[in-house]
Amino acid sequence: MRRTFVYFILGFVFLVMQTTLLAAMLPLHFKPDLLLILVVYLGLNEGYVRGGALSYILGCLQDVFAAGYPGLHGLALLCTFLAVRGAAARLNTESSTLLLLLVSAGTLLQAALLLFALGFFAEAGALWVIILIGILPQVLLNLLAASLLLKAAAWLQRRFAPRFKLPGLPRAGRHYGS
Amino acid sequence: MLELLRKYRTPLLAGCLILAALLLYSARLRQRETTNAFERTALGLTAPVQGGVDIVADGVAGAWSAFLGIFGNSPEVLRLSAENRRLRSELAQLTELRLENERLSRLLAFREEIASQAVPARVIAEDASSWFRTVLIDRGRQDGVREGMPVVVAEGVVGRVIKSAASESRVLLATDASSAIAGLVQRTRARGICRGQGTLLSFDFAMHWEEIEEGDLIVTSGTGGVFPKGLTVGTVSRVSPGGFGLFKTVEVTPSVDFYRLEEVLVLLKEHR
Repeated sequence: MRRTFVYFILGFVFLVMQTTLLAAMLPLHFKPDLLLILVVYLGLNEGYVRGGALSYILGCLQDVFAAGYPGLHGLALLCTFLAVRGAAARLNTESSTLLLLLVSAGTLLQAALLLFALGFFAEAGALWVIILIGILPQVLLNLLAASLLLKAAAWLQRRFAPRFKLPGLPRAGRHYGS
Repeated sequence: MLELLRKYRTPLLAGCLILAALLLYSARLRQRETTNAFERTALGLTAPVQGGVDIVADGVAGAWSAFLGIFGNSPEVLRLSAENRRLRSELAQLTELRLENERLSRLLAFREEIASQAVPARVIAEDASSWFRTVLIDRGRQDGVREGMPVVVAEGVVGRVIKSAASESRVLLATDASSAIAGLVQRTRARGICRGQGTLLSFDFAMHWEEIEEGDLIVTSGTGGVFPKGLTVGTVSRVSPGGFGLFKTVEVTPSVDFYRLEEVLVLLKEHR
């Protein structure tokens, strides 16, 4: 329960950062999708029920601050989580590079899901043009953000809680051969 | 049967979750023009934090600049550097105040010009996604702001309110892919729909025989039921004949700089 709460708070902080600090710092409306990175992390470390519920709730929270379609990001993040969770069972999750790879794949999958959900159920307009133009910078931005977050999390753990193990985090450390 | 269910428990669970999420999304699309309790609560809880982070970000930027200026050698250099930093900081603050004053004066003059009840608002946050174009403003239902109200600046149309909580609202910008504004070419009165393309706008449904040239001003036609007539939308930046089709392909550069949106006006009365 405590872990769920921590994930939720982290998601909330990420969302605030995305809408304020990062939006002000980066040009052309681009901002890294920190919630997507968190969901990919959940997919690698949490079970279907807890991770699925958290991904959906975080997605619904993102919907309050993104686009105008309630449940759109909830659906997209839930599908992304399930895809990562399904793939994680067949992959070597001990590698930190895998998280970066999955973040790239997750960005593409989320874009495709948004296009599907808006194209079939609502009015997508020229969204595909916006996504097509911006998908490559977005993937690179998400990769950079994921890489920085991994390094920051590993450093924080080593510095402040060396005995406390965060799920999945040790693989990001230098001592684990990543 | 039970054995089969047990064997495929995980894919079935995943399928059910996706189906439920899809149904919820589909059902809620009908109420997308209203703000539900979850959205109101989330907006109400987050907006003060976002406003605070906005102020803190300014402070952090200032402190960072001051930190970078510390690297001096002699006490005299340090003293002069400190004084220089202080004066620069004061100058920056004064410049910021002057620019804000200019912006607000323009907005005030525009407010008197449109002769309509309007509420000034500050932009406190942007859209959480890179694909959509919305902003959060610090005015809500308490100030009379409701869904569907037009949002403008002195330069022209900004967008319309799509969600409104007690003291904050979300505005769909004209450049968002789902935005559509009824407009007309000021010079020739040719009608069309301005749709968002992310950064630019397209002027759709303009008949191929209509006379439209680069540099023509596009204004709101007032027929969409949201925006009053005559507000500037943008300038025609490219015109293509559109082949054998019925319509011309017209690209419009918005008159508003959406990257530097700070203060806006919400028009409280509907104009038709």
